Amino acid sequence: MRRTFVLEIVMVAVAVAFMFPVYILISLSLKDPAQISQTPLALPAPPTLDNFGKAWSAAALGPSLVNSTVITVVSLVALVALGSFAAYFLARAHSRLGYGLYILFLLGIVLPFQLGMIPLYELVNDLGLLGTHTGMILFYTGIQLPFTVFLYTGFIRALPRDYASAAQIDGASHLTAFTRVVFPLLRPITGTVLILNAVFVWNDFFTPLLYLGGSGFETVPVSVFAFVGQYVSDHGLVFAGLVLGALPIVLIFLLLQRYVIKGFSSGLKG
Amino acid sequence: MTDLRNARVSRAQFFRMMGGLAAAAVATTACSTRPQTTTTTTGGQSATELKFVGVSDQKAPMDAVLAGYQQAKPSVRLTPSYAPTDQVQTSLRTQLGAGNAPDLHVVYPGNGSAMSMSQIAGAGLLADLSAQAWAATIPTGFKPAFQLDGKTYMYSAGSSVIGAVYNKKVFEKAGVEQPPTTWSEFLALCGKLKKAGVVPIALGAQTPWVTQLITYALVPSTVYAKDPTFDDKQLAGQASFADSGWRQAMEMYLELQKRGFFNDNPNGTTFEQQTSMVATGKAAMAIQVSAVLPDFRKAASSPDDLSMFPLPGADDAASVWIPAGVVVGLGVNAKGKNVEEAKAFVDFLGKQENINAWAKAISAIPLTQDAGSTIDPAVESFLPFTKDRAVPFMDQRWPNAEVQPVHFAVVQELLSGKATVDEALKKMDEAYRK
Amino acid sequence: MTHLTVDKPPRSRPAPAARPGGLRRFSASSPSWLFAAPALLVYAAVVLYPAAAGVVYAFTDWSGIGQDMSFVGAANFLALLDDEQAMGSIGNTLLLTLAIVAVQNGVGLLLALGVHARLRSRAVLRVVFFSPVVVSPVMVAFLWKYVYNPDPSAGLNGLLGLRIDWLGDPSVALWSIAGMVVWQYAGYSMVIFLAGLEGVPKELHEAAMIDGAGTFQRFRYVTWPMLAPAVTINLMLSTIGGLKLFDQVFAATNGGPGYATETLSTVLYKQAFVFGKFGYSTAIALVLALFVAAVSLVQISYLRSREVAS
Repeated sequence: MRRTFVLEIVMVAVAVAFMFPVYILISLSLKDPAQISQTPLALPAPPTLDNFGKAWSAAALGPSLVNSTVITVVSLVALVALGSFAAYFLARAHSRLGYGLYILFLLGIVLPFQLGMIPLYELVNDLGLLGTHTGMILFYTGIQLPFTVFLYTGFIRALPRDYASAAQIDGASHLTAFTRVVFPLLRPITGTVLILNAVFVWNDFFTPLLYLGGSGFETVPVSVFAFVGQYVSDHGLVFAGLVLGALPIVLIFLLLQRYVIKGFSSGLKG
Repeated sequence: MTDLRNARVSRAQFFRMMGGLAAAAVATTACSTRPQTTTTTTGGQSATELKFVGVSDQKAPMDAVLAGYQQAKPSVRLTPSYAPTDQVQTSLRTQLGAGNAPDLHVVYPGNGSAMSMSQIAGAGLLADLSAQAWAATIPTGFKPAFQLDGKTYMYSAGSSVIGAVYNKKVFEKAGVEQPPTTWSEFLALCGKLKKAGVVPIALGAQTPWVTQLITYALVPSTVYAKDPTFDDKQLAGQASFADSGWRQAMEMYLELQKRGFFNDNPNGTTFEQQTSMVATGKAAMAIQVSAVLPDFRKAASSPDDLSMFPLPGADDAASVWIPAGVVVGLGVNAKGKNVEEAKAFVDFLGKQENINAWAKAISAIPLTQDAGSTIDPAVESFLPFTKDRAVPFMDQRWPNAEVQPVHFAVVQELLSGKATVDEALKKMDEAYRK
Repeated sequence: MTHLTVDKPPRSRPAPAARPGGLRRFSASSPSWLFAAPALLVYAAVVLYPAAAGVVYAFTDWSGIGQDMSFVGAANFLALLDDEQAMGSIGNTLLLTLAIVAVQNGVGLLLALGVHARLRSRAVLRVVFFSPVVVSPVMVAFLWKYVYNPDPSAGLNGLLGLRIDWLGDPSVALWSIAGMVVWQYAGYSMVIFLAGLEGVPKELHEAAMIDGAGTFQRFRYVTWPMLAPAVTINLMLSTIGGLKLFDQVFAATNGGPGYATETLSTVLYKQAFVFGKFGYSTAIALVLALFVAAVSLVQISYLRSREVAS
C-alpha cells in the first residue's frame, strides 16, 4: 500500500511538471500585455477575459466552427464506413489479393504528402470541388484511410471468428454478418478510429488553406492562423486564439477518452 | 517538353474519371454535402466575385481601401483571405502550379523570391498592367521592382525604408539628444545606452527575415555609395559578395555583437520579442523595416514613443546611403476567370487617394504624392536620402530565390560563431551563381 | 488458431466469393473483395494516383509554375549526392528520429507502467498525459516557441532557473525540437503500451510472485515479452513520424539557426516552395518515401519475428 502511495505522489508530480506548457498557455491567455512582460510566470492577477473576447471576434470563429464540424463529422462517417468494410475483407481474406491490398494501404502511411500535392490539387480543381466541403471530405477520407484500415484490420484479425461464422451458417450473407454481428463488435476500435482521425482532420491546417482559402468556408485552424499571423506580437491574444481553436477537439477527446485506450488494447491482442 | 504537356491533358481526363468515381463512392457510402457555388447575388443582380490571397501584413491596408471599392463598384465583390507568409507562399505556388490561382494575389517586388514579380511574370502568369495610368508614374529607380522587360506586372502603394526604430523615452533617459549620423557616432551611442543599462539593439534573429535587415541597412553605404552599378556588375559576373563592401557590412554586423550591443541569444529571440523589447523600453533600438512600425506601436504604451532614424553605415555622413524598397504588392492572375475586373480593381488601387490610404496603413512613403499624401513622421528623417542616396532592397535584383534564404542562414551561423565571414560570403556567392 | 481449418475455402470449388455477385452468394469463407472496393477507389484517387503522377516531376526541371519543363533523366538524383545541405539534413533527420523514438517510447513506457498501477488518480493521469496528442502540432510548436524563449525570467528558463538558448543555440536546437515532439506524443506511446499491459494476464504475475520473482524480474520475464506487439507498433509509428517530421520543425525553427535543424522534409519543402525547384524537390520526396518504406519494412519484419519468438 505504501508503495502505491509513493508512486501516486511521483506520478502526480510528473503530471504537474508535464502540464507546465499548458499552464503557460492558459495563464498567458488570461493576462494583459503588461502582466505578460512583467510577471510572465506568475498566476494572472487579476485574470482578464479580454483576450478571448477579442480573439473570438477578430478570428471570426463562429462560421469556421460550423465548417470544421461538418467536414470532420462527414469525413469520420466515411472513414468508419469505408475503413471497416475494407478491413473486414483484408482481415478475413486468405488470398494473396487480400495481403497485397493490405500492403498497398500501408504504403499510404509512409508516402510524404508533398509527393502528390500538385496532381491532387489539379484533380480537386478538375472535379470542381475547390472551395467546397465535399472536396475536403474526399481528401480526408482518402488520406486517412491507410491508418484507419490498419487499425481496423488489426482489430478484426484478433476477433474470434465464431460470431460471424455462426451468423453465416444461419444463412446470412457476409454483408448482413458484417453489419449485424461484426460491426457492433468493432465499437472499441471505432472509438479509437474516431478520435485519432478527428484529431487529424480538425487540426489540419495546410490542406484547408490550400483548398478553402478565400472561399468563405475556412476551417478553424485557417481562421486561427490568419489571426495569429496578424497579431503575432500579442502573446496573450494569440494564446487565447489557440485555446479557442483547440477547445472543441479537447472536449471531444474528453468525451471519447475511455474508448481510446480500450480500442488500442483490443487491437493489440492480434 | 510538349509531350509532357499533352500528357498532362490526358491525365486531367483520367483524374476526372477517377475522381468522379471516388466522389460517387463517398457520396453514396456517406451522406454528401452539396458543392457550394461562389457566385453571390446582391439585390437581385448577380455579382462578380474576385478572390484575393494576401499575406497577413496586407490586411490592414486592404481593409482601408475595400469599403471605398464596394461603393464605387457594387457589382463586384472582393473576398480577401490572408495567412502568414510561408503558408501563403506554399498555397499560392501550388495554385499557380496547377493553373488555378486566385484573381489577385500577393507579389513580391523585383526578383529573388519564389513569389517575386520577375519569377511569376516570367512564367507568364501575371497580367500586364502597363496601360494603367498609375503605371506611367513609377519613378525610374523603382522600375526594376515593378517591371519585367519594360512591362508592369505588379502594383505596390509605395516604399518603405530600413533603419533604426528607437524608443524616444529610452533615448531621453540615457541623455541622447541627436540621432547619430556616422558609424562611429552610432557605436558611441550604443556604448552610452549600454552603460545606461538598456540593451542598445534588440535583434530577433530567430525569425529568418529579421536576420537580413542589419546587412541591408549597411550595404547601401558600404557597397552602393561607392559603386551604384554594383548590381549590374554582379549580374554580369564582374563582382561578388566576397570581394565587395558586403564583407565590410558583415564585419560591422559582427562588431555590434562583439561589443555586446545586441540582446543575449539573438538566434533564440523572435521578431515578436524584439518588438516588445523596444516597445516596452527593455531595449533602445531595433534595426527594422518601416512597414512594421504599426507592430511596434501596438506593443507600446504610447505610439508616440517610437520613431526611426537612418542607420549610418559610413564614417563620412555624406556617403551614408539608405535602403528604400518597394513594399510587398499584388498582381493580377493572367489565367484567371475575371482578368478584366481584377485589372479594374488594380486601376482603382492606383488612384492617388487609394495609394495614400494603403501607404498610410503601413507607414510607407506613397509611390506618388499629392496634397492628400501623408508621410509618417517617423520616416521623415529618411526623405533627404530617397532622391539620390537610396537603393532598393538587395534581394530585388538577385537572380534566383536561393540567395536570400542562404543570407538568412549564414547570418544565423555568424551570430552563433558557426561560420566565418569568408565562409558566409562564399556560400552566398555560390547560391548567387546557381 | 483452430478456426483456420474451418475458414479455408475448399480448393475444388470455383472461388465463388471472387465473383462480383459474391456479396449475396457466399460460403463461410472469405468475404468478397467488393468490401474493399469503395475504400480502394477513394484511396487510389486521393493518394496513389497523385503520388504516382507526382513522381514524374522528379525527372524534370520544372520550377513549379509555368509551362517550361524538360526531362532531365536522373540528374536530380545525382544532384542530391552533391547537395551539402540535403546530405547534412539526412544526418539531422536520423538523429532527430533516433532521439524521438528512444525517448518518446522510453517515457511512454514508464508513464504506462505508472498509470497501470492501482492509483486513485490514474484515470485523470491518463487523460493528462494523452491530452497534448489531440492538439495540432503547429499550435504546440507555437506554444513551445514561447516556452523555449531565452529570457531567463520567462518560460522554461524561468521555471528551472536556466539560461539556455533552446532554439537559438545550434548545438541545442535539434534536441529542443525532439523534446517538444516527445512532450506531445509520449502520451500516444503510453496508451499503446498501456493497452499491451492490460493484455498481460494477472495470473502470470501472481505465479511469478509465488516463485519469488522481484519487481524487475517480473517486468523482464513476464510483462516485457507480452508487450512485444505494443513495442512493434510504437517503434514503427514513432520512426515513421520522426522521419517525416515537418510541421514542428517548420513552425519552431524553420530549419535554423543556420542549417542546424534542417531535415529532409524541410529541405524538400524549401526546394519546392522557396527556391522554385519543384522537380528537384520531388526527387528528394521520392528518396524520402523509399527510405521510410525500407526502414519500416525492415523494422516490422524484425520485430514481428521477435514477437513470434517470444
